[in-house]
Amino acid sequence: MTTLLTVVLFGIYAGALLSIGSVGFSMQFGITNVLNLAYGAVLTAGMFSDYWIGGGSSSVWLAIVLGAVGGAVISLILGRGIVASYVKRGTTLFGMAMVTIALGLVMQFGLQAIQGPADYSYAVSHTTVVHIGSVAMSTLQLIVIGCAVVLMLAIHALLRYTTLGLAMRSTAADASLARACGVPTTRIRNVAWIISGALCGISGALLGLSTGSFNSTTGGGFFITLVAAAIIGGVGKPYGAMLGALIVGIASEAAAALIDPSYKDIVAWVILILVLLLRPQGIFAEFASERELVA
Amino acid sequence: MSTAVQFYVSSIAILTCINFIAVWGLDLQYGVAGIYNFAYIVPQAAGAYTAGVLALQPASFYQAGETYIGGLNLGFPLPIIGAALAGGVVSLLMGMIGMRRLRGDYQAMSMLVIALIANAFVTAQTGFFNGPTGISLIPKPLQAQFGYSLVSYQWDYLGLVVVVAFLVFLLIRNVTRSPFGRMLRATRDSESAAEALGRNTSRARMVAMVLGGMLAGLSGGLLVQYIGAWAPGSWLYPETFLFFTAIIVGGTGNMLGNVIGVLLIPTGIIEGTRYLPQIGYPGLTDALDWVIIGLVMLAFMWFRPRGLVPERRRKRALRGGAVRDQDAQLRTQLQGHEAGV
Repeated sequence: MTTLLTVVLFGIYAGALLSIGSVGFSMQFGITNVLNLAYGAVLTAGMFSDYWIGGGSSSVWLAIVLGAVGGAVISLILGRGIVASYVKRGTTLFGMAMVTIALGLVMQFGLQAIQGPADYSYAVSHTTVVHIGSVAMSTLQLIVIGCAVVLMLAIHALLRYTTLGLAMRSTAADASLARACGVPTTRIRNVAWIISGALCGISGALLGLSTGSFNSTTGGGFFITLVAAAIIGGVGKPYGAMLGALIVGIASEAAAALIDPSYKDIVAWVILILVLLLRPQGIFAEFASERELVA
Repeated sequence: MSTAVQFYVSSIAILTCINFIAVWGLDLQYGVAGIYNFAYIVPQAAGAYTAGVLALQPASFYQAGETYIGGLNLGFPLPIIGAALAGGVVSLLMGMIGMRRLRGDYQAMSMLVIALIANAFVTAQTGFFNGPTGISLIPKPLQAQFGYSLVSYQWDYLGLVVVVAFLVFLLIRNVTRSPFGRMLRATRDSESAAEALGRNTSRARMVAMVLGGMLAGLSGGLLVQYIGAWAPGSWLYPETFLFFTAIIVGGTGNMLGNVIGVLLIPTGIIEGTRYLPQIGYPGLTDALDWVIIGLVMLAFMWFRPRGLVPERRRKRALRGGAVRDQDAQLRTQLQGHEAGV
């Protein structure tokens, strides 16, 4: 019983952390149609910008603000400045995967060169332990869950009830039709890069804070788990990404409890491969169609 | 040459030849057959581990607390043959999982995830290949024949690697020039057209996948027998990116381009900077190497996506004879006329 409760609670926490990033990833992919493999490096950049500008402060609110700003700025530069230029030049889909991996490596190893051999770690935070049933969770973990819920509601409100959200959804559904109807699709894509970058930065900053110590490779592994969440939910669908994050979070916590903690990521990644294997038509039908590649 | 210089030159030459084999194998998959195999490092690792545990004594022999399967203590050609076979088998499995008809970037990503899973699994399962620490003290092959002097062994091993690389060169040249190679290129350029002409494209791609994987395994076997150790840190996904950079810089789908790419990227940037005087803290040079490699890839994708030596356009007349040869014949005839023969 305790195991079950632990799995569920920590699964929700892991899912909350994942959902913030995977919704951003999903939104950006849906609107620009570029599979951005540099997203993991943006995540790490969010972590670093919080640590550097915040001076290693373990404040959650500061982490959210700094992570969001850092992630948004980097994502906009990356997306509009670099990725969009390659797309305009007619780079193939596989070529774009190469370009984004290259960008990710440049950022990751650039940060590593600045960081040096030692990991960054946050000063011991004054989090208190809260007991839920027989499971002990830190207040930081509860705050992360709270943040994720608030952000998901905000994304929901943005997509559902605002003109901007309507424009974003129409650009994701059919960019040329949206443009013909007077939607400024280029500006919408800028917004998509900014919002996804901000969510990614928040996700990274919170990940760094809750892990306690991190280095330039921390974002990479987490990014693939985040992609798993986004793909399980159906890429390009923010609501699917929320559900996918919850599934991946609980599945990986179950693996940690039942098999071994080192299987956390492996289980999430195997789910990703299984989804690609068993429902390729889902992804294939929707994303290999003639949609224009835009950024 | 002084001993140190000899050692330096010969070790760079050995690693370069091993990288030729690996990159030719990947280019058969990517450049010729159009498979976006972002898990190419996995069959190489499988080959390295296999050659390692075939050459090592059983784990109990060393009393070092290592755990790994095998430990058969086999003599020279067997570990390397085993490595090639292991690479082929692993590639077959990867092909069955990852070679679905996905969009190009999706295929690259699912292969990337397969590589991450394999690495994480080998790290977590300490029973197979000693987990995160990896296997070490792998005996060098043919030491009795080559002699125990360090430098002369280097040159002898280089000779062995050069011979193997040359055989691989001949093999790939024959494969890519054969009708099968033509079919692979047709599959790459337009899968539906090749299928409409009655070709079994998925089988052709799988053959390229397995053949390339065997070469990856072979290169891994040669590498591990030379460097003597192998661990999960030796085969992280950026290593595959390194091979792809070599191919894209040099030129896809042709072996000369591959050679130039290997000389410029893994040899020039990674090996070339290895013995430079240390700047900053240990590891800074490595990090900067990767930054440079990423920037080189970005530059080539922008300015010269077909590489320094682009693939030659092959023209064929209707009956299959090379057009180029007919042109040459015509030219000699014309020259003959002009000369008044």
